[in-house]
Amino acid sequence: MDLDFSEEQQMIVDMTRGMLEEHSTVEVVREMEDDPKGYPDGLWKQMSELGLNGLLIPEALGGGGQTLLEAALVYEELGRAMAPVPHFVSCVMSAGLLMEAGSEAQQEEWLPQIANGDAILTPAWLEPHRSFGEAGIALDAKPDGDDYVLSGVKRSVAYASSASRLIVLARSAEGVELLLVDPNADGVKLSFYMSQGREPHYRIEFKGVRVPASDRIGAAGSGWKTFDKVMHDGIVLLAAQATGGAERCLAETVEYANERVQFDKPLGAFQSLAHYMADASTRIDGGRVLVHEAAWNRAAGRSISRFAPMAKLFCCETYRETTRVCAQIWGGVAFTIEYDQQMFFRRAKHLQLSWWDTPYLEELVAADVLDS
Amino acid sequence: MNFDFSPEEQKFADEVEQWLVENHDPEVMDHHRENFSQLADTPERRAFMKKLAAQNWLGMSWPKEYGGQAIEGVYEFILNEALSKHAAPQIGKGVGIIGKTLIRHGSEKLKQEFLPKILNADVEFAVGYSEPEAGSDAANMQLKAEKVEGGYKLNGQKMWTTSAHFADWYWVGARTDPDKPKHDGLSLFLIPMDHPGLEVQSLPTIGKDTTNQVFFNDVFVPDDYLVGKRGRGFHMISEALDLERFTMFTLSPIADRTRVLVDWVKDAKRDDAPLKDDPNVRRTIAQIVTDTAVAKGLSTRFVCAAMAAGGKPPTIQSSQYKLFTTTLSQRVCKDALDISGHEGTIMEGQDEAPLRGRFEGAYRATMNETVGGGSSEIQKNIIARRHLGLPKNF
Ligand SMILES: Cc1cc2nc3c(=O)[nH]c(=O)nc-3n(C[C@H](O)[C@H](O)[C@H](O)COP(=O)(O)OP(=O)(O)OC[C@H]3O[C@@H](n4cnc5c(N)ncnc54)[C@H](O)[C@@H]3O)c2cc1C
Repeated sequence: MDLDFSEEQQMIVDMTRGMLEEHSTVEVVREMEDDPKGYPDGLWKQMSELGLNGLLIPEALGGGGQTLLEAALVYEELGRAMAPVPHFVSCVMSAGLLMEAGSEAQQEEWLPQIANGDAILTPAWLEPHRSFGEAGIALDAKPDGDDYVLSGVKRSVAYASSASRLIVLARSAEGVELLLVDPNADGVKLSFYMSQGREPHYRIEFKGVRVPASDRIGAAGSGWKTFDKVMHDGIVLLAAQATGGAERCLAETVEYANERVQFDKPLGAFQSLAHYMADASTRIDGGRVLVHEAAWNRAAGRSISRFAPMAKLFCCETYRETTRVCAQIWGGVAFTIEYDQQMFFRRAKHLQLSWWDTPYLEELVAADVLDS
Repeated sequence: MNFDFSPEEQKFADEVEQWLVENHDPEVMDHHRENFSQLADTPERRAFMKKLAAQNWLGMSWPKEYGGQAIEGVYEFILNEALSKHAAPQIGKGVGIIGKTLIRHGSEKLKQEFLPKILNADVEFAVGYSEPEAGSDAANMQLKAEKVEGGYKLNGQKMWTTSAHFADWYWVGARTDPDKPKHDGLSLFLIPMDHPGLEVQSLPTIGKDTTNQVFFNDVFVPDDYLVGKRGRGFHMISEALDLERFTMFTLSPIADRTRVLVDWVKDAKRDDAPLKDDPNVRRTIAQIVTDTAVAKGLSTRFVCAAMAAGGKPPTIQSSQYKLFTTTLSQRVCKDALDISGHEGTIMEGQDEAPLRGRFEGAYRATMNETVGGGSSEIQKNIIARRHLGLPKNF
């Protein structure tokens, strides 16, 4: 057993962290909070140039051919920097769906462009008043000749205004389909709304949108199976992201607790506060091992049907709880826009509620443990 | 990064597992004894320790010149995890605390007298640090050791000496130099447990077993049985704790309780409906299984840190592991009783109880886990100061 990074892994971490410290400063993150586009071109270009956008894409298609473990190390850094980028939707989820089930032609068209940052793809998944599961997909895909005709509504589609293609999860007679749809196609209408984590989200209406069957990813009716599989990789990375965010939030709080004096003592000398921080650090460090174990197992070709949901469940709850106690330690200033604590506080809850929330993840774990 | 044991480590783990299956003995291994199963407190369990010795599994990490094999501590970790998984007595105080301290600081005489006995499982020890006024604040021991001709005369009291009622030798901290600063006035002694002037009084607990108070009335200890240098007692105690991370708190009993609970929930019914279909039960199981995986991660983390050659003692990793795991341990028992519903109240050992009351008993037996061996609060103090660098003010 050893938990050390290889030299190459350490290089990826250092390189990513260095770049983000320069290009994803708090000022940049704040600036993006109200921006309907939501990511800065400079940062996005840096990520492409350093190979981060193509990290998981095979080398033959312009990527770095790395495993989920290297990606997890990068995601911890993205979380730490609160990096405002469409990396997850495009380079992890969309690229993952294409790699898992896309045709050769689809892969050759999109994966190199995702890797070099020229194209952003984003899944259009969730629907109003519907759940995270397969049953939540109701958007209608009616076959008509060689086409599907889409009607229905998607919500919370991140970075949709910048997308070259949406990957729409739609329901046909066969089941769930994954369809590549141009957001500028006739009958597609985007409207922007704000989210708690200030990722730009869009509501998208589909009114009789025609999509050729050749733009379907994978066999008819196989869409949910593909999506579920790629999500299991994705949530490991979000768990890493949560870990990075929580660790930075705690580190800034520790620093403050050493400086701020009340009753002639630094706050950190009050044991009730010190113990909050000790608990948070224990959960953060424990969660990180779980992320690494999940990612390592995936890289070793083993099943992560239990590890992946456990990692997101634990690390997102840890991030949320860490931001709660840290806000407590900062006192009143944590509540103000001026201080950065609120940025972690909102992002932590947003992340916990996104891409499968606590009850959904608990059920995945329970099913794996109890029903097998 | 690698989460698997090396092939050699795995081979050893398999070998131990197979040996334990072949040597299964309900007299020796009993899960209902929970944490007390680690003690070799009956003739059968002492015979079992002799068998472990015959396997050459005692003192594996000791230097070769003292009869050890000089192999990595991870093998002792693997062994103790396997032993505790089977609820068998564990290698502990003798091989760990006492053996390792004697090797580093003991006189030739003490080494020759005790080390072979430890390797052959011919001796059981009791450890006496705690006193009425010295709990978490272990350096506050008051047991008086007065210098007299040829030795020391001990008077006072110890609290919480587990094993005192069956051990052969007593490893005791006492104050030899009351005028020196608290941490520099303590010394360590070895005393035969049946020594005149030692009075052992049983202190029953709500767990399965008893611990003890021990009273000292003019107990004479010859100079030869002072361990190491006078006044270095507390430093040796701290060092032994740091040296002995591998075998301190095993995860297997907790992981095993989670497994037992899951297996039970899979088959149990209430009002003829499978219990596992209850959404609250499913959520609870998911949380426990997840936290158990995190506990295993923290265990892996401290084992890796301890193995790092030339590294510092993994104090922080060990504190985080102990804090998280003992809290989880209690929660697993609590949740198991909640899932059992009212039948959880049926006391252990009766067939009417779910799992013959395994969790009713465990709920009581684990109560002390967050206190003994350094309480949760003490672990948090360590993490706050040494890991986070917060001020030392408590
Ligand atoms: C069954 C059993 C077996 C034992 N076996 C042995 C044995 O074999 N040998 C041996 O030497 N000892 C043994 N002990 C003693 C054990 O190590 C002590 O109980 C433990 O160290 C705590 O001390 P205490 O019980 O005096 O509690 P105290 O130290 O009085 O603590 C009481 C409470 O105060 C808290 N507290 C104390 N100091 C601080 C602080 N600085 N900051 C915040 N909170 C604090 C503690 O966390 C705890 O919650 C055993 C105890 C039991 C119950």
